Amino acid sequence: MGVLDGLFRRRDRSSDIARERLLTVLVHDRVKLTPELLEQLKEELSAVIARYVPTVDPATIEVTLLRGELSDHLKAEFPLRRQR
Amino acid sequence: MSRVITITSGKGGVGKTTSTANLGTALAMQGAKVAVVDADIGLRNLDVVMGLENRIVYDLVDVVEGRCRLRQALIKDKHFSDLYLLPAAQTRDKDAVGPDDMIALANQLRTEFDYVIIDSPAGIEGGFRNAIAGADEVLIITTPEVSAVRDADRIIGLVEAAEKGSPQLIINRIKPRMVNRGDMMSTEDVLQILAIDLIGAIPDDETIVTSTNRGEVAVLDRTSRAGRAFSDVARRIAGEQVPMPTLEDEQGVFDRLFGMLARRPRGSER
Repeated sequence: MGVLDGLFRRRDRSSDIARERLLTVLVHDRVKLTPELLEQLKEELSAVIARYVPTVDPATIEVTLLRGELSDHLKAEFPLRRQR
Repeated sequence: MSRVITITSGKGGVGKTTSTANLGTALAMQGAKVAVVDADIGLRNLDVVMGLENRIVYDLVDVVEGRCRLRQALIKDKHFSDLYLLPAAQTRDKDAVGPDDMIALANQLRTEFDYVIIDSPAGIEGGFRNAIAGADEVLIITTPEVSAVRDADRIIGLVEAAEKGSPQLIINRIKPRMVNRGDMMSTEDVLQILAIDLIGAIPDDETIVTSTNRGEVAVLDRTSRAGRAFSDVARRIAGEQVPMPTLEDEQGVFDRLFGMLARRPRGSER
């Protein structure tokens, strides 16, 4: 990195941070998935998954809304308890 | 053919009333017959922004409830004989009128004016729904801030759901220096996020405060940059092709040089 870069570079452009935060908030707003609904979704998913895969620990399930380049998506993760 | 245009925002304090006063006045300056309507029942404001607060006798609710004729409630502007204000009621609550009343009122005003500009209350509740009920078109005001843009996004969805077509956007209070040094979202950033058409970009300008203090509007002040930007918006509303100047053009060389240096891309990016 050149000297000029070091001199004039800003550590964080706060407008970029604003943009990123806004885009993330809007993904949630536009899908209309409130924290309560997300929690409910997790519970129902865990009930269904547990019927097929008993080693799923309901407490570790994670459901997240992700912003993608082309489309947004919902990602669910179901960590399994280690089996012998 | 007359047009009913509602100005709204979602978030409060982003400049709806100032925009209504300036656009109404600018359209009247162009020779149009204009009525500006304060639809913020209970929180009357457009009258003081236009310096007409001492002339109010009747208000919008009096008209809706039949205590006076529409003509009696309309207040003539200080500068333009074809510009009128229909003030909001100050002492009534916002449920005093409903969407059907507002549609009837808009249609009545249509017969006398080229433009009816309605100043919406903040929020997404009844007052907002009343304000857009009679509108042909909707203009959305935002500032380049996270909360204002978020609310604008919400309002755009509601306006589209109400079948008012795609609203057009005014971005207010842009600080070019902050944009240049990467500390304020740019016009392009906001447009990319909201994905609607831009009809105006208004620079942050102290003359808005000083003119409002006096009960004058900025479009009457030729030295006001915000006033000139609002005049441009009014010309675009009237169908003129007015180029959208990049706000940076109005800055000094030093600012621009500094802005360029501050904008040097970071190595880690993209």
